[in-house]
Amino acid sequence: MVKPVSRREFLNLLAAAGGAGAVVKAGAALGIMPAEAAASTLDLAAGNGRSAVILGGGISGLATAYELGKAGWDCTVLEASHRCGGRIFTVRHGTLIDELGNRQYCEFDDEPHMYFNAGAARIPNTHRTLLGYCKKLGVELEIFINENKTCWVQDDAMLGGKPVRNIEYTTHLRGFVAEMMAKAMHETDMDEPFTEEEAGTLLGMIRSFGDLSEDDVYRGSLNAGFDSGGFLNQGAQKDIIAFRDLLKTPFAMRLLSTNEGETGPILLQPRGGMDQITEGFLRQVGDRVSYRAMVASIQVRDDGVEVAYDQDGARRQIRADYCFNCIPTHLVTGLDHNFPADYVRALKHVLRGEAYKAAFQAKERFWEKQDIYGGISWMNNRSQQIWYPVAGIHRRKGVILAAYDYGGGMYHTRMTQQERVEAHLADGEKVHANYRDLVEKPATVGWHRMNHMLGCSARWRRSFREGWTGETEQHYRTLQAPVNGRHYMIGDQISMRSAWMESALLSAHWAMADLDRRLRNAPA
Amino acid sequence: MIRLALICLLCIPSLASAAEREPFDDRYCTTCHGTDGRGNEGVQAPRLAGMEPWYLKRQLENYRDGIRGAHPDDIEGLAMQPMASGLTDESIQDIIEWVGGWNYVPAEHTISGDLDAGRTLYQPCATCHGADAEGNEALGAPALAGQNDWYMVTQLRNFLAGYRGVHPQDVYGAQMRAMTTGLNGENDINNVVAYINSLSD
Repeated sequence: MVKPVSRREFLNLLAAAGGAGAVVKAGAALGIMPAEAAASTLDLAAGNGRSAVILGGGISGLATAYELGKAGWDCTVLEASHRCGGRIFTVRHGTLIDELGNRQYCEFDDEPHMYFNAGAARIPNTHRTLLGYCKKLGVELEIFINENKTCWVQDDAMLGGKPVRNIEYTTHLRGFVAEMMAKAMHETDMDEPFTEEEAGTLLGMIRSFGDLSEDDVYRGSLNAGFDSGGFLNQGAQKDIIAFRDLLKTPFAMRLLSTNEGETGPILLQPRGGMDQITEGFLRQVGDRVSYRAMVASIQVRDDGVEVAYDQDGARRQIRADYCFNCIPTHLVTGLDHNFPADYVRALKHVLRGEAYKAAFQAKERFWEKQDIYGGISWMNNRSQQIWYPVAGIHRRKGVILAAYDYGGGMYHTRMTQQERVEAHLADGEKVHANYRDLVEKPATVGWHRMNHMLGCSARWRRSFREGWTGETEQHYRTLQAPVNGRHYMIGDQISMRSAWMESALLSAHWAMADLDRRLRNAPA
Repeated sequence: MIRLALICLLCIPSLASAAEREPFDDRYCTTCHGTDGRGNEGVQAPRLAGMEPWYLKRQLENYRDGIRGAHPDDIEGLAMQPMASGLTDESIQDIIEWVGGWNYVPAEHTISGDLDAGRTLYQPCATCHGADAEGNEALGAPALAGQNDWYMVTQLRNFLAGYRGVHPQDVYGAQMRAMTTGLNGENDINNVVAYINSLSD
C-alpha cells in the first residue's frame, strides 16, 4: 500500500529545494565553489636571483617550481620518495607500491592501457586551473566515464542479492517517485502557490521524470532498456521491479545523485594515466628535483629558511630565501622545526584521510560482453565499487578498480594482502559470475600506510554534520598564512576542498601571489 | 648503517628479479616516528630516541610475534604490527643500533593536570619505573620520563581497557595491566601523566 504524499509534505519538499538554492549561492559568495569563469593564472615579478626550497614533489610543489622557475627564481624540490606526484599515483607494470608493511611491485602486463590510478582519478570540467596546466604542458586528455547506467547495482538485501542494471534500478525508482508526486498534485488544490500554467508544467515535468502512463501511474518504462527486440522487431519492455524491493537498499538514497556535483559530467583523465600530469611538470622542472631526500628539519629565520634533509645516508643542509611546503601536515608535526605554537596547533588539528583502493588485471574484458564501457558498478559491501576502464576498449585485457573505500578505508587497510584480495574477490563475484577466475595480479593501496604520506586527503572537519566550524576555519587561515613571511604550507590540504588537484594548484597560486604582492610592496 | 638483513627483510620471495626493479628503502621508521625518532603526535607514533635497547627489543619482538598490536581496538598498535611482522632477530638488532645513534631531545609537553593528585597516583608506579621515572631494566620497566605524554595516555587507556597486556605471553604487560586498575578514569590518567611530565622538567 503506497501512502500518498500530503500537500503539506509536498510543499515542504519545495521549500527544502528553495533552501538548497540559497545554500549554493552562499557557497559561491564564500569562495567554496569556483565562481570565476577563468583559470587562476599568475603574473609574478622577476625573481632577481631569489631562491626557494620546495618540500614535496606533489602537484602543488611542482607547480610552484614551474611558476617560480619561469619568473627566474632558483628553485630546489626535495622529494622524500623515489617518485614525484604524491597522491597522483598511476600503478602499471613494475610500479613499486611503497606501502609500509605491504610493499608490492605491480605485475600488470606491460601495455599502455594497463594501468590503475590509485589516487587522483577524475578531473571535473570546471577545474580550470588544472585543465589549463594540462593544455600548457601538453598532457593529452580523454573523457572519463563516471556514471554508466549499464553498470550493475548489487545489494544482498535486494532481490536475493541478484545484481540489476543501474538503468533499471533508477528508472523504476524515478517512476514510482513520480507517481507519488503526481498523485499528490491531483489530490490537492494546486491553484496555490502555482498558476494553472505552472501547475501544468510541473505535472508535465513529473510525468517525464518518471515516464508515467497517461493516467499518471508508473507501469514500467522502455527507458530501463529492452527485454528483447527493439531494432527489427517491437521492443519488449522489461519486467518492473517492485518499489518495495527498490527500497531494500540504501542505494535509493544515493544513485540518483552520483552523477551530480563534482563527479558530474564532464569528467576527464589524461590518456595513459593520471601521472602524465606529473610527467608534464617534470618535463619543465625535472632537473630541479632531488629524490629520496627526506626532510628532517625546517628552521624559519628572518632572512630565509634552513632545511635539513636525509639523503644517501647523510644529513644535508639547504638554505633558501623562501620555503613552500606540501609535506602532509601530520608528517610536518614529526619534524624538527621552530614554528609558532598556534601554527603547530593548527597542524595538529588536521586529520589524515583513510581512503583505500585496489585493482585487478582482468584476463579478458568480460564487462564489455555485458555492454559495459567505462563507468562504475555499485555494491553495498565493503569493496563498494568496480570501475571499468575507458582505456583499451575492445582489447583483450584491461585493468579494473576492484574496491574504492573513500571514507572508512581502514577496514581493508588493516588486512593482509591475501585478506584484501579475498575480500574483493568475494564481493566482486556477487556482481560478475566467475569473477574469481577472470581476474588476477592484484594491486592494493592503503593510503594511510603509504610511505612518506601516511594518509589520503586532509580532513579538516570533525564531522560531516558539523562542517567547517569557526575554529576550524581559524586553523585553516593560520596554516595558509606564511610563517615569518618565509614559509608557506601548500597543497590540497591547505584548502577548503581537499583531495582535488585543482585545490592543490589554487593553494600554491595563493601562496605565490601572496608572496609576490608582499615583495612588490616591500621598500626597495 | 643498515645491514643486508634489513634490506632484504620484506622482499617478496615470488618476485625475484629485483635487479631491474625500483629499489626501496627499509629505513622507514622515521616516516612515522619523526625526525631522529622524536615521536610524531600527528600519526600517534611515539618517541624511539633514548628508548632503552632492551625495551625496544622486547616490544619489537612482541609486535613481530603478535603479542602486542593484535587487539582489534588497539588502533595504534594495529598500525605498528605489520611493520614488525617480517623482522628477523638480526634486523631487530640493526634497528636497535640505528635508534641508538639518534639524538635525544626532550619531548614537548602537551598535557597538564593536578600534580599533587598525580604524585599520589604515581607512588605504586615508582616501585618499578623509579622515583624519577627513569626506568629499571632488572624489573623490565622502561623509563617514562621524556616519553611523549599523549603516547603514555594512549597506553594507559589501552592497558585499562584490555587492549594491551592481555596476551598470555605478555608477562610484563599483564603486570602493568594489573597496576593500571588503580587508575580511575581519564582524570587519573591525565594527572599521573602530568606528574611524569614534571619529572623531566
